[in-house]
Amino acid sequence: MSTGHELNVVQRWMQAVITNPEGIVDGVASEAAQQEIALDPATIESFILPSKRCSSIERLSVYGNAYFARLIECLAGEFPTLEYALGEELFGDFALTYLQDYPSTSYTLGNLANHFVDFLVNSRPQQEEGEEPQWPDFLIDLSRIESIYSVVFDGPGEEKVELISAADLQQIPAEKWGGIRFNFSDSFRLEVFDFPVHEYVTAVRKEESPEVPSPQKTWLAISRRDFIVRRQSLSQLQFNLLKALLEGATLSESIEQSLNELTHEEAAGFDELAANLQDWFANWTAAGWFRSLNCD
Amino acid sequence: MVTPRLGHDNLGLGVGLRSTHYPYILDNEPDVDWFEIISENYMDSQGRPRYVLEQIVERYPIVMHGVSMSIGSSDPLDFDYLDKLKALAEVVDARWVSDHLCWTGVAGRNTHDLLPVPLDEPTLEHVIERIHIVQDVLQRRLILENPSTYITFAQSTMPEWEFLTRMAEETDCGLLLDVNNVYVSSVNHDFDPVEYVESVPHERIVQCHLAGHTNMGTYCIDTHDGKVIDPVWELYRLTHKRTGGISTLLEWDANIPPFQEVHAEVLKAKQHMSDQLTSTTTSEDASSIVSEKDDAPSHAIPQPVVFVGAEVE
Repeated sequence: MSTGHELNVVQRWMQAVITNPEGIVDGVASEAAQQEIALDPATIESFILPSKRCSSIERLSVYGNAYFARLIECLAGEFPTLEYALGEELFGDFALTYLQDYPSTSYTLGNLANHFVDFLVNSRPQQEEGEEPQWPDFLIDLSRIESIYSVVFDGPGEEKVELISAADLQQIPAEKWGGIRFNFSDSFRLEVFDFPVHEYVTAVRKEESPEVPSPQKTWLAISRRDFIVRRQSLSQLQFNLLKALLEGATLSESIEQSLNELTHEEAAGFDELAANLQDWFANWTAAGWFRSLNCD
Repeated sequence: MVTPRLGHDNLGLGVGLRSTHYPYILDNEPDVDWFEIISENYMDSQGRPRYVLEQIVERYPIVMHGVSMSIGSSDPLDFDYLDKLKALAEVVDARWVSDHLCWTGVAGRNTHDLLPVPLDEPTLEHVIERIHIVQDVLQRRLILENPSTYITFAQSTMPEWEFLTRMAEETDCGLLLDVNNVYVSSVNHDFDPVEYVESVPHERIVQCHLAGHTNMGTYCIDTHDGKVIDPVWELYRLTHKRTGGISTLLEWDANIPPFQEVHAEVLKAKQHMSDQLTSTTTSEDASSIVSEKDDAPSHAIPQPVVFVGAEVE
């Protein structure tokens, strides 16, 4: 017959104590801990034994110190460029707040950052309408691209599937091209950023100490081939075309739609498209973006 | 009569599979006896980690080692997790599936730490009941490891080795004896590590873990960031003698050196297996080691830290 506290009470108490960001003493005094087991630094040894060399508080601190340090290290592993841009200390501050707002509820650390981009978006200082993208937007863009890289890296891919080839495309009669619909690879993503963050990420990974870039609308295709994440910058016309195709439109519908979406300054898009369409599709097919196609 | 190692093979000397070593292993097919994987790093993977694992499975025996079963938690068991664990074990033909005597979180949260349970009768009953359920789901014996711990509860009524023994005998599960964890906990809790190793049921020990740790001056942290120290090797030699030989694995998870260095460290076990047991480590010995070697970094983080970063062109 045990005279101790019930296991669920012990565990709720300990979790409240070791996950308190202010430390163990504040954790023990916290409402969450007190409502489980009412202890204070003077009475804690009646519950957590001291060792010959360490007090009960010191011993609990091993868990308390490790809790945030471990998870911040994991977030830094997933967002190394964001950490570089922010600096270790400021990144740690953001991560600490995030972990309090979104504690892990998953068996895998792979899901730890699931809400991190949204957290940064919601933390952004209020923006004036029409304002140029600022430093916070750069940080949000960085977090987005690193999050996407993680998802694409370990998500579904087509490495074991035969994708369509340039030869497959060449066999399609010219009159049928307009009715083609493309099925994209599972890993394929189209993304728009306010900054050329893909170049910044690459430079940081190469330890080139890049400066923060000026805002520049950036259209990217991100995919995975041979288990490595690849990114390719696109023109706005290419992006619009691929977006329409990704949404299920036929090639002729996609061409029309993408040209209509161009701004006045980019009206030369038709010439660009006419001159390059065949090369684009050859390159995109070689990049493994298309899983299959159907002709209407 | 229990068969030694519960009938499992002695796989020899293995290394924990870590992503930083993928290229070396695939290119060189090193002469390592077996690999242990962190189960959670592969359960959901559809990318390179899973692809690499599939190739390694073709060449080496694989053992699965988890960090999120939370067998000691008062939260309900996660059956989705257990189903995924079982599926992975079938795919990789896991020789066995292990986790820790610990809880990782409560109220739906996961601290991603291996937290200690009170060593009392109600907790023992609770853990036994859950092991039975897990073994029913997995359709195999579970192997549980003694974790490194940093606190003890006043309400505990038995030493950890007794808890492990009764738990294993009641459930017919196996044990993964981490001799580094025995040493770390013996320093932290002032017990005799030799008595611990002598007291666990040797025929139920399926596997042994070796690792380095960090001496913080007044306590030790299980950091898996360096070589195995002599007192831990002594506990290993005792374990080898008492068990008659078990699958032995080195864990190295922080400041990870090239694969050859990690492999060379576990190969030292060969010498220790052939040596006579000439000395033993007592809690007094451990105390003197603590005072001799005070090289603790301030940022030492206890294991586990297991995250696989993306590879980008």
